[in-house]
Amino acid sequence: MSTQGPMKEQNERTASGFVRCAIAAASLLAVVSFAGTVLAQQPATSAGSNPPASAPGAAAPENLPGENQGVYSDPLAPFNESMFTFNLKLDDWVLRPVATGYSYIAPQPVRESVNRFFDNYRVIPRFTNNLFQGHLPEAGGEVARFGINTVLGLGFFDPADTWFGLKEHPNDFGLTLRYYGVAPGPYLMLPILGPSTVTDAIGTAVDIGMNPLTYITLYTDMPWWGSTALSGGIRIIDAVNYRSLHIDQFEEADRYAVDLYGAVQDFYLQSRENRVKELKQE
Amino acid sequence: MTVVKTTVDQALTVLRDKQTPIAQRQQKLRDIVSATFDFQAMSRSAMGYYWKQITPDQQQEFQKVFITFIENSYLAKINEFVSGEVKYLNAQPNGNQFSMVKTSVVMPNTGPIALDFRLLNLNGQWQIYDVLVDGISILANYRNQFNRIMSSKGYDTLIRDLKSKEASLAASMGT
Repeated sequence: MSTQGPMKEQNERTASGFVRCAIAAASLLAVVSFAGTVLAQQPATSAGSNPPASAPGAAAPENLPGENQGVYSDPLAPFNESMFTFNLKLDDWVLRPVATGYSYIAPQPVRESVNRFFDNYRVIPRFTNNLFQGHLPEAGGEVARFGINTVLGLGFFDPADTWFGLKEHPNDFGLTLRYYGVAPGPYLMLPILGPSTVTDAIGTAVDIGMNPLTYITLYTDMPWWGSTALSGGIRIIDAVNYRSLHIDQFEEADRYAVDLYGAVQDFYLQSRENRVKELKQE
Repeated sequence: MTVVKTTVDQALTVLRDKQTPIAQRQQKLRDIVSATFDFQAMSRSAMGYYWKQITPDQQQEFQKVFITFIENSYLAKINEFVSGEVKYLNAQPNGNQFSMVKTSVVMPNTGPIALDFRLLNLNGQWQIYDVLVDGISILANYRNQFNRIMSSKGYDTLIRDLKSKEASLAASMGT
C-alpha cells in the first residue's frame, strides 16, 4: 500500500477505522435526534382512542377484550408506504428469484445448516441484550449455546437445543430500549431491512455496532472498505438463505390480506409488543 | 375450553376424512365454523372506530361481505393445519363473559405454533371471536387493515377490495 513505513500504515488504518466509527456515531446521533423529535409526537399505538361500539343486539357486550389494539397513527406513512413498495419490488425482482435459484442448487438440509450457522454467529447481540435486561440465565444460556454449537456442532448444527434442551432466547437492543420504557416510536419501514420502528432501528444500528466483523479493518490488512464488504456480503448470503427457506411467505400473507401494508405493519408491531411483554414477565 | 376442543376435534375429523368428497367436507366445515364463530361480533370489532361512522345499511352490507370473506379465510387456513397435532393447554376466563383458550399445534416440518382462541359468552353459549396465531391477533390485524382503507380510501373501496379478495380466495380453494 504506502511506501512510508509500517507506522504510517498503522496510523492510516487506525485513522480510517476512526473515520468509519465517527461516521457511524454521527449517523447514530442524527438518527437519535431525529428520533427525539419524532418520538415526542404520537406513539405507534393509539391506545384507547376508539369510542366503544354500540351493539345492535341488546345482549352483546360493548367492548371485546383486545379491542383497542390494531390502530396505529403511522405519522411516517408516506415514506413508509413508498419504502414498502420498494422492498416488495426488490424482493420480487431480485431477492426471490435469487433465493429460488439458490434453493435449486442447495438442498434443504444444507440451507437449514447455513441458517443455524448464522444464528450461532449472531450470539453477541442476544447475549448482551439479555444481560442488559437482567436476564442472567438466558444470557448464560446463550454463551453455553455458542460454545456447544461451535465445538460440538461445528457451527452448523444445534446440539445445544437437540441434546441439552438449551433454547435460544432472541433479543435485540430495540427490545432492551423498550424493556426500559423507551416508547416504541413511530412505525418505520426500512429499505431492505423491512418493518421496524424508530426505536427498533436505533436498536438495529447498535446491534450492528456490536458485531466484531464491523471493526475487522482495525486489526487486519484489509482495505478500508473491507469490513463493510465482508459484513455486507455475509448479510446478503444470510438473507438469500433465509428467503430460500421461506419462499412463499409473501404469497401467504397476500392471500389473506386486503391491505398488505397494514397487515405487515400490524403483524410486526403486535409481535414486538408481545415479545416485550414476555420479556417483562421472565 | 370444551367448546374449542369439540370444534377443533370435529373440524380435524372432517378434514382428515378422505372418504367423503371434498365439497361435502367443505360444507360440513362451514357448518361447524358458522356455529362456533361469532361472526357478528367479529365484523363489528373489525370495523372498530368506523362501525359507528357508517349507516345501518352499510353496516349490514359490510357484515355480509366481511362474514363471507372471513369464513372462507378461516376455512382455507384450517386446511393448512390438517397434519398438525393439537395440544390443549389451558383456559383463562376473564370475568363471566370472556375467556381465552390456549393450544399448541405441532406441525410435522416446523416447530410448534401457539394457537389461542378468544371466546365470548352470549346467552349461555360460548363462541369464538378471535384467533391468535403465535400471539398475533387476526382480528386486530384486519382491524388495522380496514382502518387504513377506511381513513384513506373510504367505505366503497373497502367493500370492493373485500369482495375481490374473497373471490381470489375462493378461486384458489377451488370452490
